[in-house]
Amino acid sequence: MTVLDDIRAEAGLPPVLPHTEAYGRVTEFLNYEAELLDSYRFGDWVGLFTDDVLYQMPVRTTQFLVDGEGFHEFDFFIDDHATLTTRVRRLETEFAWAETPPSRTRHFVSNLRLTRDEQSGDMAARLNFMITRTRQDLDYQLFTGVRHDRLVADGESFKIRRRVILVDQTVITATNLSVLF
Amino acid sequence: MTALSEPVTTGTRTLLSNGEALEEIVRPAEGLISRRIFSDTEVYGLEVEKIFGRGWFFVGHESEIPEPGDLVTRSVGMDPAILLRDDDGEIRVFLNSCRHRGMRVCRTDRENTSFLRCPYHGWAYRNNGELITAAAESHYGPGELEKEKLGLIPVAQLGSYHGLLFATWDPDAPALDDYLGNMKYYLDIIVNRTGGVRVVGTPQIWDVETSWKFATDNFTDNFHVFSAHHSLVELGMLPNDPDFAGHGTMVVAEEGHILHLTAGAPTDQYESMGLPHALRAKFPEHLDPDQVEMAKHVAYSAGTVWPNFHWLQLMGSGTIGQPDVPFLNLRLEVPISPTRTRMWSWLLIDNDADPEYLKSSYETYVRTFGPGGIFDQDDMENWEDCTRAALGPAAKRYTLHHKMGIGRPVDENWPGPGTAYQGSYGEMTQRSWYAAWLRFMTTGWAGQAGATSASIAGEGAK
Repeated sequence: MTVLDDIRAEAGLPPVLPHTEAYGRVTEFLNYEAELLDSYRFGDWVGLFTDDVLYQMPVRTTQFLVDGEGFHEFDFFIDDHATLTTRVRRLETEFAWAETPPSRTRHFVSNLRLTRDEQSGDMAARLNFMITRTRQDLDYQLFTGVRHDRLVADGESFKIRRRVILVDQTVITATNLSVLF
Repeated sequence: MTALSEPVTTGTRTLLSNGEALEEIVRPAEGLISRRIFSDTEVYGLEVEKIFGRGWFFVGHESEIPEPGDLVTRSVGMDPAILLRDDDGEIRVFLNSCRHRGMRVCRTDRENTSFLRCPYHGWAYRNNGELITAAAESHYGPGELEKEKLGLIPVAQLGSYHGLLFATWDPDAPALDDYLGNMKYYLDIIVNRTGGVRVVGTPQIWDVETSWKFATDNFTDNFHVFSAHHSLVELGMLPNDPDFAGHGTMVVAEEGHILHLTAGAPTDQYESMGLPHALRAKFPEHLDPDQVEMAKHVAYSAGTVWPNFHWLQLMGSGTIGQPDVPFLNLRLEVPISPTRTRMWSWLLIDNDADPEYLKSSYETYVRTFGPGGIFDQDDMENWEDCTRAALGPAAKRYTLHHKMGIGRPVDENWPGPGTAYQGSYGEMTQRSWYAAWLRFMTTGWAGQAGATSASIAGEGAK
């Protein structure tokens, strides 16, 4: 899977350390993005992605460690800008029943490690994510994993050129994946 | 078994502990199905034995284990199982449980191995199931360890139909060929139309808080599409016409083996399941002329091999304004409890598909179906709320409504086997499914008079 090779390569790029201005701006951007999602500002959220974005969540399987990370050429999401926009437009109808009435989500991001691709100027962010979701009178559903974002400069802020979501579960113990990651 | 899970059968009545008879609360011919069966623990206990201990269940596809030593872990019915290809190339299915203490001997989703070694005490098996060693063998006295009788427990029967692997724990079940009966004619159109299909990647798996039966009910239901998926009508991704999914044929191939063959817009794009012309051109090599003509008028098809295996041959798009693309999806529901079900979903592709079509079919499936799909995610919402609303004592006194099309005449001119009805909105396929459910729950194989002669209210096989 080429996108996983890309991610491994990014770990070897020059680090951007905490307490630098760049690290602070990326942190602020990621927190802002989470706030948009948790405030149902999906139209603003999809505006944070570049036109050539790849948004991907591979399916995970349980394997022995020596056999690799357990990703087998299948996905829960394989989206581009047009399909992400379609997801958002769908949520904006009154009839997307999986989110009507809407879930209440909290997107938590942490453990940010940031590298910079000196050639392109892109930032590569590796972070842990946790999303809690409750809807109607129902118990919490939980999504956790590692996210690998590739960020390009957009004025003082950023746009997301690639998001790979490495979810921890092999069996998703949730009704569906109607929340945005 | 406790009294709670042991019904009393008196004549034709199978009594539950509250005095109700299954034959009274489930009346498929009248379209009356009690809500009790969707949440009741006693009914569920019966299903475990009467359905999941006896039926034929989809395990996987041969293409998932191409090489000797390949294995994947699955369920057969409700029991954990290992599907593997042994070192001699033979496909086998075993209970995933050591003969000693019952520990799972395989604890990954997939691997390649010649041996399965139990982590608990070290009993080890060859991949043909033979016990090789019990680890501390010198401590067993004479006759205490009969290794030749202690191989991994195989399924009672294993069968393949064009690469689809089915297994049963019941040695008395009819052979797979007889069990499928008329359904083979329609399965051919789905999995052998171009000479074969294969699994893409690995299945998606997720757990839904639903009775498994609300999911099965939904997989033979065109009627829900306009309302349940109305967000896509709003976006212009489905026609703004309440009848748009109503044009086609519903077939009861055998009691419980049911399908929809549904027409799309009257254009070439929606003929022959929308497949690329290079694939359509192969149909006559593998199908008879009636099947080819039948397939020509089909854009969408959903079929159920009793009880919990489905195909979805659909067309859709993940992008507003882009043309629909076909995909072939296989589905399986494995009950975990009366109100929790594990969903399995595989994408298949015709072996002769070109890489460009594979890519577009793959992306279309992932974007529209499975847990993240913009169509599918709303379905799970319905099953869960139907289940929650069936939990209480008041709800359990009432039936669901499955009456649509009870009076509709059989299509006497249908060229295929089974019983066909014109139109794609109607609940005759569900009624047949519940008739099979009642038959499994209340009779043994001997009482079922063979798969091909069973019928309910004129809705059985010809």
